[in-house]
Amino acid sequence: MKQQIIMFQLNGEPLEIYADPAESLLAILREKLGLYGTKAGCGKGECGACTVLVDDQAQNSCLIPAGKVQGRRVETIENLSRGDVVHPIQEAFVEKGAVQCGFCSPGMIMSAYALLKSSPQPAPEDVKTAISGNLCRCSGYKQIEEAVLCAGDKMKNRES
Amino acid sequence: MIRSITAPDPKQAPASGCFPGIDYDQNPEVWAKAAGRAVYGTDLKMPGMLYGKILRSPCPHARIKKIDTAAAEAMPGVRAVLTGEGLGCKPFGIVVDDELPLAVDRVRYIGDEVACVAAVDLQTAERAVQSIRVEYEELPAVFSPAEALEENAPQLHRDFPGNVAWQRNISRGDSEAAFREADHVVENTFTVPAVHPTYLEPISCVAESDRCDGLVLHTALQSPDSVRAIVAKVLELPLSRVRVIGPVMGGGFGGRVYGNLKLYILSSLLAMKTGWPVKMQLTREEEFTVGRPMIAAELKMKMALRSDGTILAREAEIITDNGAYSAQAPWVSNTISERNDSVYRIPAVKTGVRLVYTNKVPTGQYRAYGNQAANFATESLIDMAAKKLGIDPLDLRLKNCIREGDVSVHGLQINRCALDECLKAAAKKIGWDRKKAGRGYGLSAAIHANGSLIFNKKFRGAAAQARLELDGRVTVFTGEQDYGQGAHAAFARIAAKALGLNPDLITVQSRDTMHSPYSLGALAMRQTTIGGKAVQLAAENLKEKIVQLAVSLSGEPATMENGVVRGSSGMVFDLAAIAYDYHSQTSGLSLLGEGKYVPEKSDYDDSGYGNISVTYSFAAHAAEVEIDRDTGALTVHRIVAAHDSGRIVNQVSARGQVYGGITQGLGMSCYEGYLFETGRVANASLADYKIPTALDIPEIEEIFIENEDPAGPYGAKGLGEIVMVPVLGAIANAVADAAGEWVTDLPITAEKIYQAMAGWECQ
Ligand code: FES
Ligand code: FES
Repeated sequence: MKQQIIMFQLNGEPLEIYADPAESLLAILREKLGLYGTKAGCGKGECGACTVLVDDQAQNSCLIPAGKVQGRRVETIENLSRGDVVHPIQEAFVEKGAVQCGFCSPGMIMSAYALLKSSPQPAPEDVKTAISGNLCRCSGYKQIEEAVLCAGDKMKNRES
Repeated sequence: MIRSITAPDPKQAPASGCFPGIDYDQNPEVWAKAAGRAVYGTDLKMPGMLYGKILRSPCPHARIKKIDTAAAEAMPGVRAVLTGEGLGCKPFGIVVDDELPLAVDRVRYIGDEVACVAAVDLQTAERAVQSIRVEYEELPAVFSPAEALEENAPQLHRDFPGNVAWQRNISRGDSEAAFREADHVVENTFTVPAVHPTYLEPISCVAESDRCDGLVLHTALQSPDSVRAIVAKVLELPLSRVRVIGPVMGGGFGGRVYGNLKLYILSSLLAMKTGWPVKMQLTREEEFTVGRPMIAAELKMKMALRSDGTILAREAEIITDNGAYSAQAPWVSNTISERNDSVYRIPAVKTGVRLVYTNKVPTGQYRAYGNQAANFATESLIDMAAKKLGIDPLDLRLKNCIREGDVSVHGLQINRCALDECLKAAAKKIGWDRKKAGRGYGLSAAIHANGSLIFNKKFRGAAAQARLELDGRVTVFTGEQDYGQGAHAAFARIAAKALGLNPDLITVQSRDTMHSPYSLGALAMRQTTIGGKAVQLAAENLKEKIVQLAVSLSGEPATMENGVVRGSSGMVFDLAAIAYDYHSQTSGLSLLGEGKYVPEKSDYDDSGYGNISVTYSFAAHAAEVEIDRDTGALTVHRIVAAHDSGRIVNQVSARGQVYGGITQGLGMSCYEGYLFETGRVANASLADYKIPTALDIPEIEEIFIENEDPAGPYGAKGLGEIVMVPVLGAIANAVADAAGEWVTDLPITAEKIYQAMAGWECQ
């Protein structure tokens, strides 16, 4: 398809790119914008490694045509930390041993982030459901679930 | 809301209770991973980099009559096109030499590499590959070992008549007499499909070639030194002109011990031809269709017992399905054929194993090397015997299980072993004595080697270096790889303990073959025990040198305790000052501790008898399941995992290994397995090849029986592979307990359970 201008908000900043609107958001993020934190495990919506937030919803960026984010808010893993300062979810993932090879971690953390945005104190079952589209081959998910619950507590404690 | 990335203050980290005073649980790299900043192979991009793509055979077996690459070569943006003709490479392999980088004359499976191109971008490379015209003459193909073993079957490789790639017959003790004298004989046939390690990051490689640095491969491998040696040999390059640098690894599980050799060789050839870096990457579909799954196996097995439950002998006929080329399949077949015999005191065994070529995806290996496939068969058979003899499966296991001081039927020396305790602990925790109605319970036991002499009889150990840096920090160099299992964090702890330093002051380096000591790598569960011991020795050696230097500097006796170097007069030496002094004295050298762990010579002989490893880990798992009697649907409620892996170095990552390994075992038990349609992989996607998701995980409870083993560093031994082994037998036996009948064909699906309950023949 012909390239066109696509405007959206990326990690809190307005952005204008010239791209094929049929190209996946994942390819745009990685290849055009150099944001390699979002991972590609299958390119077909089957693994969740490419999860980003579009208007606060966790989505597989490999399935989203770039044209579809016109005018919307996109948030990637890169937005969760600044220098040495990390988000409580990331802190909890490290503390609980939820990061092994780490390839699923950015997508997993973004799914957790979307969950905690909409439901700050989730039940263990909600956590399982929220990450059920994110495959992890290393961890058996248990320490990831512990981390998400712990992150919820951390965020609450720090707000109060 | 936010805290610093450098936050983990060692003093505040949760106490693991392992190494008093030293509590630091994570490799610092996890911060980068969690932040999305870790650079994996698939993320690599280099100046001038080209993209490579492979043309693959659409036929399961065919003669190549003609390849026309003119259109590809004329395409703008295409920088190189290669075909097998004219490459002049000799056949290569890991155990047997049966592969070429690109097919010459003949293709042997759907996916076989026929040609490859390098182009300025991936789209151009894909278009170029599609423009290559190949004329094939289809040949008759064989899709199962049974077909391949028929007398007039098409032959896949001239050098391997009868389509047998490898075989072995093992006979120990007098099993014929045992079967004659036995009160009872149980027998059955078990089948296990090919399974893929399914690491989440597909394999990729960037190859660079130039006059100055030689050939450099950027790819994450569990055994970079082994791959380096094969690539050098195939390309006829001096070994020192091939270097492997590893980016962060997105999972391995045995699948990245050798990774995808074709990909490394072809990207190297394209880089050498073009003079530019070339990146190649498998798609997820290619991972399934040309990656290297673990071999499928059929195990025909029988066991002789006395009425009191004493096992007298076991015999097995095993056929493994190699696919078109061999990779590590001979070694995996070997583990399948014998390792489980050493779980129990079995006086006599007789086993034949044959690895058979078929026109299907070539096979490799997976975590635990086939030990888990054999566990499914042998542990099911144990329970079948228990049922026949009317003995409790726990009692039957306790009566026969191997114990400390034993020498197993294959000559394994069992010096430290808490298998009986593992069995008792797992049974107790699952509630063996108070089983719930409507639930099924199963047990299973396992042994796994810590390093194996099968790879290289002369190379038994590992080496490491510990260097005192000018700032007083320590860098440990090891060839042992960390793919997220926590090896480097463990090594940092081990070195820290030897030196009395905080692990925060220790950096572990392993990812560059130019700088790390040679190593067999992350395989056969040798990391902690063998690699870790070498790190301990290197750190101890460094400590000695530090103290010696302090003595010569001060002219008085000195000691190093808790990381502080002190002379007898009370004078304290700063580590940085010691490093700097040595550096000045020698005009630039660094103080370097070296450690080599060379295990005692083993009696392991050419017949495969003898002590194959420095030590062994043990485990018993128990499962609690429920079956819907109307549909056969299976719910695995709980798995209890009791492990004797010696002293646990790091509780957090040990738990992670247990949960992850059990989840993979659950996948292999209940969901996973290749499906083929006339040689084509029918489930080549993550949607069709189902691995467990967060919704599939049972309650998992781990028990560590910390039976310290002097063979490993501070009493520790391996855990990463054995965690996947007993879960298969435990689930199979729990299903049988609930259904009244065994499912002998993996994966154990609702349909098969339903058929077993209805008394139908499985399959
Ligand atoms: S890469 Fe998008 S779901 Fe796998
Ligand atoms: S940590 Fe490796 S896939 Fe999740």
